[in-house]
Amino acid sequence: MKFLSAISFFLLFSAFVQAQCILTISGNVKDADTRSALMGATVSIIELKRTILTDNEGKYTFSGICPGDYTLRITHADCQALDFHFHLKEDIVKSFQLSHAENLLKEVVVVGATSVRPEGMTGELKGKELAATRGLTLGESLQRITGVTVLQTGNNIYKPVIQGLHSSRVLILNNGIRQEGQQWGSEHAPEIDPYVANRLTVIKGAASVRYGGDAIGGVVLVEPRLLQYKKTVQGEVNLAAFSNNRQGVLSAVLEGGFDQREQTSWRVQGTVKRGGNAKTADYWLKNSGVEEMNMSAAAGWKKGNKNLELFYSIFNTRIGIFSGSHIGNLTDLENLVRAAVPPDYIKDEGFSYAIGRPYQFVQHHLFKLKAFSEEIGKSRLNLIFSSQLNIRKEFDITRTETDLPQLQLNLQTHSADLVWEHFSAKKIKGSIGVNAMYQDNYINYRYFVPNYQSIDLGIWAAERYQHENWQVEMGLRFDSRNRFNIKDNDKQPYDLLMGNMLVPGDAYGKRSFSGLSGTGVVAYKFNENLRTSFTASTAWRAPQVNEMFSNGLHHGAARIERGEAKLSPEKAYSVLGTLIYNTEKWEAEFGVYNKEIQDFIYLKPVYPALLTIRGAFPAFDYAQTNASLTGMDMRLAYRFTNHFQTHLKASVLRAYDKTAKTWLIQMPSDRYESDLEYSFIDGRKLKQSSLKLGFQYITKQTHVPPTGNIKVTDLAGNTTMQSDYMLPPDAYTLFNLEATTGIEFKKRRLDVVFGINNLFDVAYRDYMNAFRYFALDRGRNISLKIKLPI
Amino acid sequence: MKKMNLHLVALMFLFGSFISCKKDSVADPNESELITTVRVKLTEKLSGVQTVYEFKDLDGVGGAAPSKFDEIVLTKGKVYDCTLQLLNESKTPADDITLEVAAEGVDHQIYLSASDALAVISNYSLDSKGLPLGITSTWTTAAVAGTGTLNVTLKHKPGVKAAGDPVSKGDTDISVDFKLSVK
Repeated sequence: MKFLSAISFFLLFSAFVQAQCILTISGNVKDADTRSALMGATVSIIELKRTILTDNEGKYTFSGICPGDYTLRITHADCQALDFHFHLKEDIVKSFQLSHAENLLKEVVVVGATSVRPEGMTGELKGKELAATRGLTLGESLQRITGVTVLQTGNNIYKPVIQGLHSSRVLILNNGIRQEGQQWGSEHAPEIDPYVANRLTVIKGAASVRYGGDAIGGVVLVEPRLLQYKKTVQGEVNLAAFSNNRQGVLSAVLEGGFDQREQTSWRVQGTVKRGGNAKTADYWLKNSGVEEMNMSAAAGWKKGNKNLELFYSIFNTRIGIFSGSHIGNLTDLENLVRAAVPPDYIKDEGFSYAIGRPYQFVQHHLFKLKAFSEEIGKSRLNLIFSSQLNIRKEFDITRTETDLPQLQLNLQTHSADLVWEHFSAKKIKGSIGVNAMYQDNYINYRYFVPNYQSIDLGIWAAERYQHENWQVEMGLRFDSRNRFNIKDNDKQPYDLLMGNMLVPGDAYGKRSFSGLSGTGVVAYKFNENLRTSFTASTAWRAPQVNEMFSNGLHHGAARIERGEAKLSPEKAYSVLGTLIYNTEKWEAEFGVYNKEIQDFIYLKPVYPALLTIRGAFPAFDYAQTNASLTGMDMRLAYRFTNHFQTHLKASVLRAYDKTAKTWLIQMPSDRYESDLEYSFIDGRKLKQSSLKLGFQYITKQTHVPPTGNIKVTDLAGNTTMQSDYMLPPDAYTLFNLEATTGIEFKKRRLDVVFGINNLFDVAYRDYMNAFRYFALDRGRNISLKIKLPI
Repeated sequence: MKKMNLHLVALMFLFGSFISCKKDSVADPNESELITTVRVKLTEKLSGVQTVYEFKDLDGVGGAAPSKFDEIVLTKGKVYDCTLQLLNESKTPADDITLEVAAEGVDHQIYLSASDALAVISNYSLDSKGLPLGITSTWTTAAVAGTGTLNVTLKHKPGVKAAGDPVSKGDTDISVDFKLSVK
């Protein structure tokens, strides 16, 4: 109760303090390279829509401002915007240095200078928002972005779903490099440590030709901070603790540089994480622990207009698979669904950090070398080499004692990119690039996907034209994808191409695909408050090796998946429209989209279930259909006062199978989120404190096929024919609480975030969680996150 | 430029280490896990006549369909001694998995059940703790003729096997429905 009365006291107090609009912020802007004053730089306070230009001494002054939180944006000529967030309670004098090189670099790291990135179709997590997700997996963090949901397998495996699409339809760029792991599997989470990033960006829809035309769903960018070419050594330590699975995370980063004749910079970073069994509202989830140990190192060197950057990272994780999800056959699954709770001997296990079989171990190495040379303000040539090695091991429950996995996949990827970016003409900017990639997949133990090698080649160009309030962008890309030496080890699998047994060691042969993808964007600015954009794009995705040649039992899932060697590429035609309206009080983003996907590849259930020595198994064959995905993403923010604001987010999606004339299964249901946020006035020690109470309402997925071939018996003993073994779970509402503050001591600032997810410990299941058949989702989770600079 | 060269050397090492950690072939642990064959040996008590019925799927779960799936044919009103044999016939000589199941009897249990009251199955052999294991059993066929199925289920339940476990408990290693005909 003390807590509540403290809040109401603050609310009252703030009402009295308001409206002393006499404050000033001023300073100057310099060129970081020449140290000379920068004239004509645009400085704006975003929240107030006030913009001025620096005078010939580089000075700027805003006066008559109310106390509150603001963002200052400084832009100049070809530089990208520099944002500065601050809390105003007395006059501030702040100077900025704009570095041409740094800003160009930033732009390249982000989208290769190609994309207009209409705001309604992108989402970003940085600063305070990102700090609140620390300690979570990449997939969980991205959920904060409107239109992004997750495909979940238990409580440690989260895959981002962008507007209903996921896995190989979503491209993840780790530090500018295409993440090449075993992304195809629904229980294969991205092998990335989110602590590497200081910004996470999602580009929804196929709006980028820069990274490959196969990102039909969208692109996720995991971007680290730029290397600092300063003499000082600095760093930070991050701690996060979670009550639900008693998880602790420790991450630290240290960076520095030398500035002599040649400039060098370095950074090292590491993360360790350990969590035990998670708890639902009613019981513990046995064997659902996680362990993670990650490290990365970066180095930069620059001399004149030449730059060289090296980056290496290693990611290691061991993830327990909930014991209650391990089933032997279809009967076991039906028994579990009917019982609605895990068996007592699993449910009553309690808490433990131990991870036993079944579990998975994944290791990912990424090595990157980037060299670039630039003529400032004119053009830049980038050469990027990268190597990745992904090792995935799946350990099943075995009858005999062994330390070996039942499935192992080793995927090596080497790629080279040459990108020329030109800023020459004032109104036209753009980039042209070529890309080559070699891949080798080597399997061991049980067969699920074959060995293969592949060579992918791509060439692309994207140009942007800007004139007054109009902006037009066009992008075109050609890709050739060749897979060869597709084979099993020396065993004799069923030959999917020919339908008969193979000679040992013989190849399935090779498959090649090629095609064009393109994007066109038109954006128009009506005035400072209202902007709109329209995007049309085509993209295609070659069938993945698992879609063509998988044949076997899925890890612990008691289902058989069979590929179809004759699949053709899927082609997407999408249109997206956005409208953005910003005033002092309102912030609104509204986006609508439609994706027509021809030859959409999906898993089609096979009837009757397959007969095996372990009983009946549900089987799925890869098949193609024509799909149509239509949806809407919306974000609204309203500022009642400088201290009090509210947000509202909504995502709606309808996914339809046009061939079968029914809904597509496994698509996220509609979700609505809202919160009320109160920002406190800075105290002597506590800065930028805020308190947020939010809720999420997730509807029941009712857009599923009305009937199917699966006989489902409900608790009352009635049987109906359904398209799934369990009907989609009911709608649910979760409440969340988040309190943040910055504590100042000895000129340093300790940032603290305290949060409670699922405040009322609601028992629920989510349609997008593959373990919804077996157990409830996670219950209340109290977390504490601390960031300490060193 | 000396620094550059060092970087290049480091780079080469990294590339080298990627390529060298390839293709280390180890014995496949899954081979010992595979059960391809369920063999039901039935000996009629009075006459001593033995019949053998089999289910066989050489490539395990998935892939090609089972190559052998017999119908069990019994005479009404008789008593049979049953011995089960579980084999991995994907290699030569075949592995007798029954020995392994017997050795780890405390973690396993075999369930046998006939549909339509075609047979009563009793006298399951026991594990070292005196709980039913079921490698051998006694079958008494019904007095009237009929057809149905005979289910053989092998459950793996390490550490949790207890008296009176229902068939739904534990992981299913085998579940085969033989056609059963009592004449």
